[in-house]
Amino acid sequence: MHIPDGFLSPQTYLPAYAIAAGGWAWAAKGLKAQLNETTVPRLAVLTALAYALGIIMVPIPGGTSGHALGVAILALVFGLRAAFIAYSIVLVLQALLFGAGGITALAVNALAMGLIGAAGAIGVRKLLARVNETFAVATAAWVSVMLPGIIVALILGIQPLIAHNADGSPLFFPFGLSITMPAVLIPHCVIGFGEAVLTVLVWRYARTRKWLPK
Amino acid sequence: MNNAKPTVNSPASRQWPAARNWLLLYLASVVIITFIHHPAILAILLASALLFSGNNRWRHLRRTMLAILAFNLTISVGYAAVALWQGTFSASYLLLVNLRTILMVFLGFWFTARIPLLDALAGWNIASLLATLAIGQIKTFERILADFRAAFESRNLARPSWLARSRHTAAQAQTLLDKSFAASNEAAQAMRSRGVFDD
Repeated sequence: MHIPDGFLSPQTYLPAYAIAAGGWAWAAKGLKAQLNETTVPRLAVLTALAYALGIIMVPIPGGTSGHALGVAILALVFGLRAAFIAYSIVLVLQALLFGAGGITALAVNALAMGLIGAAGAIGVRKLLARVNETFAVATAAWVSVMLPGIIVALILGIQPLIAHNADGSPLFFPFGLSITMPAVLIPHCVIGFGEAVLTVLVWRYARTRKWLPK
Repeated sequence: MNNAKPTVNSPASRQWPAARNWLLLYLASVVIITFIHHPAILAILLASALLFSGNNRWRHLRRTMLAILAFNLTISVGYAAVALWQGTFSASYLLLVNLRTILMVFLGFWFTARIPLLDALAGWNIASLLATLAIGQIKTFERILADFRAAFESRNLARPSWLARSRHTAAQAQTLLDKSFAASNEAAQAMRSRGVFDD
């Protein structure tokens, strides 16, 4: 789902960085309020966990696999602010350490997955917890994949509208919303199912270990 | 851990600004590239980058092509198909978007090969600490996942069922979660014993 470099216009990623900076400041301020000597090592380990979860292959019905997102696990166990910061650091490390990420797309990726995806998971779980906890966690995980997918599809789909030559030819991502929405959302619908199964299994494990937030 | 700040003239302090300046130059470069919409200019910049990147240029270029191949090929073929059908095909666009991506990703690999990230972050204590701890833990987790994969393959000579693969996936995530809780406590204790939190 990560958007690589070169497909987002400055009209998109520069404002995204401004919004993300506000989000990072908000998340860091919240974490700072709980700051103690375990915060930095905990955040570092969370970052590594976020990175490693992204390496795990989730089996998808149909025989294929997709990379796990893991943001629902992070958000439900560690909270929104920690999940957002950890995921953002992962994107920075991927870009600057492994040369494997989009620097210009980093803010959009961080906002879509690390903030909106995480917030969606937490919100849906709270909303549905009274119905059935397993159903709530599974739906939360599925939403944590679909919401970023919608954001990414929207962001990519508007590129031809906001950045094009005088003759109308695109300058960045070439496809409009009529193509990006189904192209992104249909596979993510399926990937979300795998993510839901993974998240429920991990959630139950975290509950038996008493690691869930009170 | 040595928390002493280097003096102005120490080798470490002279190294820090250079690495950070390279980081800022790299970041500024990728932003500037997105404002260039002429394939010819991007081609010249890419040729210059190849020229100045030294003996590892072809290794960086190979890594670049491997990194972008799947996505760019999909977009390029998709664009060509749709645009030809609509009669709006522009070869200039294909050149532009692919040269831009190749140049930006190439610069990323060149930068990460030349400038250690931790040097660029030196002087920003929290950032350095976070990056150092995270990178170390990432390596540990990667080894754990590699062990899991090898063990799973050795136990499943035939293709495993979807349920078995799901349980395997969950077991990896559970182990990582286990390790995360233990590792954060261990790291905090190790840092405390080395005086990192002492004023």
